Amino acid sequence: MSLQNVNDLVTRGKAKLVPAAVQETLDEGVAATEILDTMIAAMDVVGEKFKNNEIFVPEMLISAKAMKKGVEVLKPHLASGEVGSMGKMIMGTVAGDLHDIGKNLVIMMIESAGFEVIDLGVDVPLEKFISTYEENPDTKIIGCSALLTTTMPALADTVAAINAAPWRSKVKVMVGGAPITQEFADKIGADCYTPDAASAAKAAKELVS
Amino acid sequence: MLTAKENMRQVILGGKPDRFVNQYEAVALLFHPFLLASPLLKKGDMNVVNAWGVTNSFPGNTPGAFPVHTPDKIVVKDIEHWRDYVHAPSLKFPDELWNVCKDMYAAVDGTKAFKATFVAPGLFEQSHHLCSMEEALMNYMEYPDEMHDLIKYLTDWELELAEGICSNLHPDTIFHHDDFGSERNSFLRPSVFEDFFLDAYKQIYGYYKSHGVEFIIHHSDSYCANIVPIMIEMGIDVWQGCMHSNNVPELIRQYGGKMTFMGEIDNKQVDFDGWTYADCEKAALNAINTCGSVADGKYFIPCISQGGPGSLYDGTYKGIWDAIDKYNCEKFGFKQEDIEANRLPITIMF
Repeated sequence: MSLQNVNDLVTRGKAKLVPAAVQETLDEGVAATEILDTMIAAMDVVGEKFKNNEIFVPEMLISAKAMKKGVEVLKPHLASGEVGSMGKMIMGTVAGDLHDIGKNLVIMMIESAGFEVIDLGVDVPLEKFISTYEENPDTKIIGCSALLTTTMPALADTVAAINAAPWRSKVKVMVGGAPITQEFADKIGADCYTPDAASAAKAAKELVS
Repeated sequence: MLTAKENMRQVILGGKPDRFVNQYEAVALLFHPFLLASPLLKKGDMNVVNAWGVTNSFPGNTPGAFPVHTPDKIVVKDIEHWRDYVHAPSLKFPDELWNVCKDMYAAVDGTKAFKATFVAPGLFEQSHHLCSMEEALMNYMEYPDEMHDLIKYLTDWELELAEGICSNLHPDTIFHHDDFGSERNSFLRPSVFEDFFLDAYKQIYGYYKSHGVEFIIHHSDSYCANIVPIMIEMGIDVWQGCMHSNNVPELIRQYGGKMTFMGEIDNKQVDFDGWTYADCEKAALNAINTCGSVADGKYFIPCISQGGPGSLYDGTYKGIWDAIDKYNCEKFGFKQEDIEANRLPITIMF
């Protein structure tokens, strides 16, 4: 019952109520990993509904926020590495592009899917993507965002630099942003393109499974 | 032959246009004093704080300035106490500033183009400029009372702005920015959108209409098909920026006569590294053939989706412009010099 309650509260984005519900469920003796899995499953449903235009960005955001609050309560009860157990992902908006809203939405959904995200922010030079990977060689995915047609060349340059790296076969490259298409992603040699944040989270899980 | 302005009026009213309106040819975008008093960014300006306390940047590769929301730069730190952070700037301007604007309006030939006051940002945009996008969107769900109060505060300020504009500048059109969605959907659920914005915009656009303004052109380069009935009820006559994703032909079929759709040519179709005139011609003809044919040229204006004449890459806007002119000459038998004689020279704003 309490697990179902946690699921419902995350789905409905009740950030103020989730911490108490998670604590109550822990007190009942439910394993922290089970609660975490329940919240991830709730976010899967939220993501699917968003993808199908059944819910809107604010509803997805408050669900992700609610889950984050729940994870804060869970953290002391989880072994190191269990939060973010899907793996590590590096995310950034490419050089010359200051837009962060789309990238931030993707990060919220990717974290909600169980990834640990290193957020490089906006206007990220390609060298920074490369050096961050080399400092974090356990990274499974590098995500690059571009919102403008004028920064599509920078996205292509970034992916080209990653593709030329000796460790390329160990990491997947995801791209996205308003002007980006599957055709463009294929042309520049990315592994994956998704049109929205919820699809990105789903695809990320598939890429590492 | 109709002037560009007369032709656009015929398109909007469902009369007898004699050719397709060419993008912004019949809309002269003009300023009001607040746009001159609050720092107006030029391309390349970075981290400039405006009169609302919002930090904006205008990198050279973007179509316009936009707010910067690193944590230190977000104006509203706590939505429950937004009144401590949001302080509406004064709208009392010296006569000299009004006169600068009046001269701009007087310089426009009002027989060829609508004198359109440019108003931006809108209510929704201002809310996320002040709060950051993520926080504003969540606030609409989690703090509806506070957001209603904030929107009321912004609406009152816009009404005071409208009073100054109408009594001093006498525009015949308002070109009002407020992006309501992304390419794929409206940002807010229609019922939430209606709850927060319908009455507010009815007041603002109603004020303009009752004080000499003939048409309201509202810019939102996004998907909004799901909120078009609400936009019509707000008083919007022309929705500029309607992207291809909206299924514009279907919108014309459903709402033609109540609203005119100005767009269909998304920037990303034509405005990219390596664009060609062939890309522009293809996009323009596709827009005309798919949307313009639905109601015999009525209720549709082929236009780049961005919120003002221009493009990111030099020449793209002009490429579309030339393609529409060519079509009008070939299809309707006009000479290029006649078209030029009946409109203002091309303006590139961005």
